[in-house]
Amino acid sequence: MKTNLLSVYRKYREVAYLHLKAQIAWRADVIFNMLFTISKILFAYLLWGMVFRQKSLVAGFTFHGMLSYYILSSFLSQLEMSNGISGEICARIRNGTFTNYMLLPLSAQGYFIAMEVGVVLFYLSFDFLAAVVWIFLFRIRFVFTSDPLIMACASGMVLLGLLFMVQLNFYLGILTLKYENIDTFLMIKSNLAALVTGTIVPLALFPETVVNLMRLLPFYYVTYLPSMLFTGRCQEEALPGLLVLAGWCLCLQLVIAFTWKSYRKKYDGVGI
Amino acid sequence: MRKRGRKNLRILRELVRIRFQGLMMYRLGFFGPFFVDGSLFVIQLLVFGAVYSNVERIGTWGQGEMILFIGTFSLINAVGMVFYFFGIVQLPEKIRGGGLDLYLTKPVSPLLRLTFEKINPGSIPLLLMSLVIIGYGIRRAEIMVNAGGIFLYLGWVALMMVLHYDMMVLIRCVCFFLVTNARLEQLEEAGLDLCMKLPGIAFYGIYRVIFCFLLPYGLMATLPVQCILGEMGWRTALEGCAVAAAFTGLTAFVWKQGLRRYNSASS
Repeated sequence: MKTNLLSVYRKYREVAYLHLKAQIAWRADVIFNMLFTISKILFAYLLWGMVFRQKSLVAGFTFHGMLSYYILSSFLSQLEMSNGISGEICARIRNGTFTNYMLLPLSAQGYFIAMEVGVVLFYLSFDFLAAVVWIFLFRIRFVFTSDPLIMACASGMVLLGLLFMVQLNFYLGILTLKYENIDTFLMIKSNLAALVTGTIVPLALFPETVVNLMRLLPFYYVTYLPSMLFTGRCQEEALPGLLVLAGWCLCLQLVIAFTWKSYRKKYDGVGI
Repeated sequence: MRKRGRKNLRILRELVRIRFQGLMMYRLGFFGPFFVDGSLFVIQLLVFGAVYSNVERIGTWGQGEMILFIGTFSLINAVGMVFYFFGIVQLPEKIRGGGLDLYLTKPVSPLLRLTFEKINPGSIPLLLMSLVIIGYGIRRAEIMVNAGGIFLYLGWVALMMVLHYDMMVLIRCVCFFLVTNARLEQLEEAGLDLCMKLPGIAFYGIYRVIFCFLLPYGLMATLPVQCILGEMGWRTALEGCAVAAAFTGLTAFVWKQGLRRYNSASS
């Protein structure tokens, strides 16, 4: 039993390592991805710079608290690189090469999770470096929690959030087995995700009713709540947040298992 | 000159007819661009609704002015999506793969054909949506508009559309000289993404130089709005016209030089 688990672990570790190495081939992409994170920080710096000239506090944020939030949410949203999974699955089902994933001695979903682990591990240090550079460049008095329990909860939430997004993108991708074209839907999803994960503006700016509604959705816990926790806010939501997100991951896993079981039979390996 | 204009119009009519025939085969994706871009601008409205529920004004602009700004950007984007976006966007591929040969051998201006051959009627609802947003913005900002004001506003919108088109063509013409323009397209995307959220009045110092003169996306929706609000001075107007003229000249020059350099599939 132990040997079995170890061999499964080794297989997925190999996939993660393979994708980590593959990123090195795209060195220019890495540098430009790092550089373009500035657009989110610049947006926040210029917009909130104008706003905070008239007010010292907006929705409980100071100017530097707000910029710290953007640094963290930008860092977390850059780490979340699972968007391509749904596109990749969709394209491969359409051209008939999804067979490659079905023939591997691994679960297709496990493969994509391991792939995400490899990519995230590679980008982690670069995104961290970019965040540090922006903090110094924009002279931000960075606000960060000192409570180790909150840090641990927020880190756990980040990991669960990354897992949830991989699950979601895998689920959307396999919908191609039934629906021919999901490209438009994927693009709309990307637009909406930027709003509901709080990467454009903090969700705290929305009316209380809207925020309460958002709390029921998993996206609230993917980027927004961890960023708020790291900046020392919403601490009372840390543990409930972890439980809610874990619940969403579990539910989505059940939906994926059911969908995969019924839709995989529709795949004929010759493309659409 | 008149004969050439009539010939171009006939070609345009034919391109639209062929495009309609092609689109009818893929009916499901017909309104795709409308839903994608429509959702983008609705999200912008929601975001600024949330911001303005916490602050009275951003700089000198209240919520009405910001809605007008979003509507104007949406209008410029919508016109691009209907008429030229899908045509120009395929230029790098045509240059790299040698597909531009087909355009050069036809008795039509290659840029004219490329620009209008992928007209997208599925994006027309975006135009209507933009007009509704603009109307709502004018009402919300309580702007008194007269025929002259609307005429000037539309004039600025038209000029900024030309600038938008210039930028699209210019960035893709780089493929005549380099293997790829992927980084420039990334820069274009980042610039557009930033400037559709942030009006030009927010830029100062080095940011103004970058987003108003080098990557002039910061001017595109801001100038028409400033014009209708009566906030536009002579200097701003002259700067706007000069930037549009400079980029049009540069685009024409780069296109001509690029065609000279074009070596079919080996480009």
